Amino acid sequence: MSVSLIILLVVIIILVLVYNSLVAKKNQVENIFAGVDAVLKKRYDLIPNLVASVSKYMEHEKGILEEVTKLRADANKPNISDAQKIELDAKVSSALGSIMIAVENYPELKANENVMHLQHSLNEIEEQISAARRAYNQAVTDYNNAIEMVPTNFMAQAMNYQRKAVFEIDETQRQNVNVKELFNA
Amino acid sequence: MKSVSELTDFYYKVLYPTLKKLEKDRKHLRYRILLVGSGYTFVFFLIATTLGKNLNFGADFLAFVFFVYFGIGAFVYKFLIKDYTDEFKNKIIEPLIQELDNRLNYTQLLHVPQHLFERSEFFKQTVDRLRGNDYVHGEIDGVRLEFSDLHAEKRHKDSKGRESWSTIFQGLFIVADFHKTFHGKTVILPDSAQSTFGDLIGGWLQSKNLERDELIKLDNNEFEKKFVVYGTDQIEARYILSHSLMHKLLGFEKKSKHPLYISFVGHSIHIGIEYNKDLFEPSVFSSLLEYKIAMEYVQTLHLAIGIVEELKLNQKLWSKR
Repeated sequence: MSVSLIILLVVIIILVLVYNSLVAKKNQVENIFAGVDAVLKKRYDLIPNLVASVSKYMEHEKGILEEVTKLRADANKPNISDAQKIELDAKVSSALGSIMIAVENYPELKANENVMHLQHSLNEIEEQISAARRAYNQAVTDYNNAIEMVPTNFMAQAMNYQRKAVFEIDETQRQNVNVKELFNA
Repeated sequence: MKSVSELTDFYYKVLYPTLKKLEKDRKHLRYRILLVGSGYTFVFFLIATTLGKNLNFGADFLAFVFFVYFGIGAFVYKFLIKDYTDEFKNKIIEPLIQELDNRLNYTQLLHVPQHLFERSEFFKQTVDRLRGNDYVHGEIDGVRLEFSDLHAEKRHKDSKGRESWSTIFQGLFIVADFHKTFHGKTVILPDSAQSTFGDLIGGWLQSKNLERDELIKLDNNEFEKKFVVYGTDQIEARYILSHSLMHKLLGFEKKSKHPLYISFVGHSIHIGIEYNKDLFEPSVFSSLLEYKIAMEYVQTLHLAIGIVEELKLNQKLWSKR
């Protein structure tokens, strides 16, 4: 009798520990995503100013400027999911990268103090976003590992936890970042 | 900044006359130490054995005798080499530092203040005694830099009330301005758990270290193998430890060839290089002209002063302009 009681107790303790660790991992992901969201918002806040400063000169790049403005509007819509936010971030990163490359073709813009200031701010925010993305990816990897690995996967199934997506930093984005670093040098 | 080989040239060319004079002093000194040492040993044990025989003491007395012998011996040794050491520091170490960067000041008897060592959070033990010397400080390209030799110790008392000291850290301690703005703490320690117990168990042990803040797992395998990182903020730690800084720190670790402690607290980067010996001291029993000895002074100074360029601390980001 007492032996089975002890076994039951141990099983319960293990279940509680597994449950708690899964919840902690899920909360960590959400917690860090809040941080990601905050820096992304900082970057979105710079976009109107950037578009206003460069649109006078950039006749040929009207399309991309409009796209960035639209992406910002999309991002500011309420109730968009985390996955959508991640997707929007990738698009904004690449669009901003293109704008920054285009700036190179306009000497007036390159010398413009306001644009220079924006460029520096964007670079700084880009670093913060990169840090936030890396932190988020690590948290998601821990979370995804837990919901797929034995024994926590059984509990995760019972709790209906789903895999989460990470930020993919593809090669084109890396190149954009590199180009921007060249600007600074 | 001058390279290691340029500095070695400076050591052997410009400082050569001084080295030669010091070398003569050293040989005299060595002779004196041997003479005084053997005389002291002879007299001491003569007295000790006479006392021991007459008073019939046990093993405790023997331990006490050795303790006194080494205590007095060390004191006499320090006294004998004091002039030689002073001259070496003023005429060799200080010019070497000036040659590397003349914006730096050297003070022989000071060290980096204790509050900075404690702020670094390299060690969680309380420091009961902190000694050090060879304090260098100054500003290079707008980056404040200070470093010195440090020896931090902890006091222990056994049940009989006897005191003993254990070393917490001995080596070079460097503090410099860091070019990014941050608010939390990020501490990087040599990775002992992961290399001893492997990734799985070691990693688990690291995450269960209650003394420390959150474990930060980084996306650079080599860095993860060499170091373990704890911090108050997952995002901020990665903001500080960009891919390029991790890469530079790994390079610095290879160059230093000793266990490395790094932390980012306040507005500063703290670096501790554990040499486990007193640095920048003149050699007494081997020649100052010996290449190995010379390289030790040159390389250590180059390493410490070089961090500004090596880690690109002088390249300020927008947030700090």
